[in-house]
Amino acid sequence: MSSFLSQTDLKSSANNIISVLSKPGPHFTYILFFIVIGFFILFAPNFATLGTASAIGRITAVVTIMAVGMTFVIVCAEIDLSVGSHVSFAAMVAGILLYKDLPGWLTASLVLGLGAFVGAINGIIVTKLKIPSFLVTLGMLSVLRGLALSFTGSMPVPIVNRDYVDVLAGGSMLGVPAPIWWTLVTVVVGVYILHFSIFGRRALATGGNTTAAQFSGIATDEIRIAAFALCGVTAALAGLVLSARSAAGNPMLGQGLELDVIAAVIIGGTSLFGGRGFIVGSVIGAIFIGTLGFGLIVMGLSTNIQEVLKGVIIIGAVSLNRK
Amino acid sequence: MPIEISNKNPLLEMQKITKYFGENRVLDEIGFNLYSGEVHALLGENGAGKSTLMKILIGVYRADFGKILIDGIDTTDLSVSHRRARGIAMIFQELSLIPNLTVAENLLLGREPLHAGWLINFKSLRLQAQKTLDAYDFPIKAETPVEKLGFAQRQMVEIVKALSSGARILIMDEPTSSLTSSEEEKLFNIIRSLKMKGIGIIYISHRMAEIFKISDRISVICDGRLLPTQKTLDTNDIKISELMSQGDRQDSLAAQFKPKLSDQPFRSRLTVSNLRTSHKLKSGISLEIAKGEVLGVAGLVGSGRSTLAKALFGLIPDAKGIVKVDGNCVKLGSTTNAISAGFGFVPEDRREEGLIIHHSLASNISLPHLKKLQIGGGKLPIIFSKSADEMFNYMRKYLRIICRSGKQQASELSGGNQQKVVFAKWLAANAKILILDEPTSGVDVNAKEEMRMIIRNATASGASVLLISSEIEELSLTADRIVIMIDGQLGRSLPAGFSATEIRTSIQEDVHMIRKEPVL
Repeated sequence: MSSFLSQTDLKSSANNIISVLSKPGPHFTYILFFIVIGFFILFAPNFATLGTASAIGRITAVVTIMAVGMTFVIVCAEIDLSVGSHVSFAAMVAGILLYKDLPGWLTASLVLGLGAFVGAINGIIVTKLKIPSFLVTLGMLSVLRGLALSFTGSMPVPIVNRDYVDVLAGGSMLGVPAPIWWTLVTVVVGVYILHFSIFGRRALATGGNTTAAQFSGIATDEIRIAAFALCGVTAALAGLVLSARSAAGNPMLGQGLELDVIAAVIIGGTSLFGGRGFIVGSVIGAIFIGTLGFGLIVMGLSTNIQEVLKGVIIIGAVSLNRK
Repeated sequence: MPIEISNKNPLLEMQKITKYFGENRVLDEIGFNLYSGEVHALLGENGAGKSTLMKILIGVYRADFGKILIDGIDTTDLSVSHRRARGIAMIFQELSLIPNLTVAENLLLGREPLHAGWLINFKSLRLQAQKTLDAYDFPIKAETPVEKLGFAQRQMVEIVKALSSGARILIMDEPTSSLTSSEEEKLFNIIRSLKMKGIGIIYISHRMAEIFKISDRISVICDGRLLPTQKTLDTNDIKISELMSQGDRQDSLAAQFKPKLSDQPFRSRLTVSNLRTSHKLKSGISLEIAKGEVLGVAGLVGSGRSTLAKALFGLIPDAKGIVKVDGNCVKLGSTTNAISAGFGFVPEDRREEGLIIHHSLASNISLPHLKKLQIGGGKLPIIFSKSADEMFNYMRKYLRIICRSGKQQASELSGGNQQKVVFAKWLAANAKILILDEPTSGVDVNAKEEMRMIIRNATASGASVLLISSEIEELSLTADRIVIMIDGQLGRSLPAGFSATEIRTSIQEDVHMIRKEPVL
């Protein structure tokens, strides 16, 4: 009976990875994506340039990082509305720790750990007190925003640690800016955890049918808590990158980001009802939203109209992706 | 009291009702009628087709062939709401009242009397409801919130609600299942007064005693066919039990393969002592299963059999007692521990508990084995879906699962094949003890036979099985030993070789013994 557990050879492993990456979600996501890009190339002046690509990359990095974490939460059929203010909170904590002359690496580690902790609290309240995640994380949104504002009486904290700023945002390696590197690392880790690890399988099962998952020996509460913790870590990482980029901890830094992040995940083909999710899809969703925002700016539309259009497109995408 | 029915026109007539689910014929030319003022009892094992027939009657399903006449008028093509308008109403096992509203508000839900056409007139609402309740002599106050009522009273409200919207044909599905014996008596009085008013009642129940107390005629449905209807006065519970076993095919393949376990020395695999839960199993369960043995658990629905299964599998956190597998204690309340001790569980509700219906077959069966499916049998923490596919293909051949590939969604398979996938999940792990809760409910006859073969093959390779089933024939064919469970307690234990009829009689006797009711 052990014959089917044979060693997988290298070639078929590669095929496996390719098949996961090439099927990141419903095809309409791509169609929509290319229509929008095509539209901007035709109608927005000087859109098809390397400069545009790099600008979109930088804009998109933060949303992509957060979308990877959010994918795990949504795969478990939950939602995390607190990620936007979590970004501000993490940036403020980082700013204050650096102000107290803590080394950059220690600051970053502490903030990431705190991110996991805050996420886990969301998860524990959701699973143990059985309160819908929508309400719990809405409450957490307010708590984190309030904390971020109260640390300094809503004043930004300047960050003067050069290394911290370079490693997280300002510097580049092989010509690729640091935020893109951090995004790549997050995406690779996310692909591994969701598609190639035990945890990922269990998270998909938990969101697909919690009862059946429990009846298969999966501790679904722990899986959900871990998914929230992962989401918290990515929000904290996004906070680090944003604080480094603006060289300051600012309590308003992440405001409203949760909408972009959730939209990116859903547009990418992850089911809001859980049980189905694609990290690469979320990345494409994030790039899509970034492109949309950038293209609309290039075309000279006001940010207010952008908000309206973004909302309409998100509702449209979700309604096409209701499975 | 039984009324003369021979020379009247029936209130309801179902003619040659036939229904297919995919390829499976679940109802085969059923002819069933109901007269005004009559209680017609409908019996049958789980999965025999009772609820499908009733769903066709109330209009949830459409029959593939056949006609439904009410007062001689063809109503076959009517929708649920039009059926209701013609006077068909079902009293559900799970009552459909809204608990925090009052009786009056529930009774007139959607038909509330209004002030000036837009504001609810609560006074007239209460008076109108009270008048209806009084008209049926139900001693309930209209302003009481439903949540303060007992089950029997809620059932009364449910009945009044159906009647006040003009119902003349009432379907009662296991109406006494959550009633105490004094409440039961109240319900029977209500049924008798409804008969006087000319209401026809289809009465579905497993409980032989109450069927003989209240019904005028009895029909038995067996594997989708209706056996000839009997007048209650002309028959008795033994005859009906025999009738129910008539539908069996005695030349069962699995029966031929049944090994003589009694010839082998008894080597204990599972020992359970004093297993208790705070809810159903209050008095403690002790049992033992040998290696390669199939222990059948018979009993009524709601007797705590599923609770026993869940407690053993670690799904009930407050379960107490001692469970030993091959002499080693298993910590209760954790599925992880249960699985590593060798338990596998095929739950009662395949679609909700057994499978993730929108996931692939391979991913479904891989769930308990993810650690082993990692590269190199768990050396590297990486899983490729290929290894789950390989595992599935192996089990697919072994259990002859009919599907296109392991990537197919579980929802696309027939009931029998879905059930094989749930079996495969645990057989792939070489589970030592398989807990099977109604493993053949809702699958067709051939698939039932295959399930029995699967169980036999599993025990032949050393697995032990705890088989919970409401299908007495299945227990008689498959189990090496049968224990009877009534109200959370174990009754007698029967060795192999008992016929279905003998097992049924034993269950009835145990019910009387444990509940201390007089034998009829």
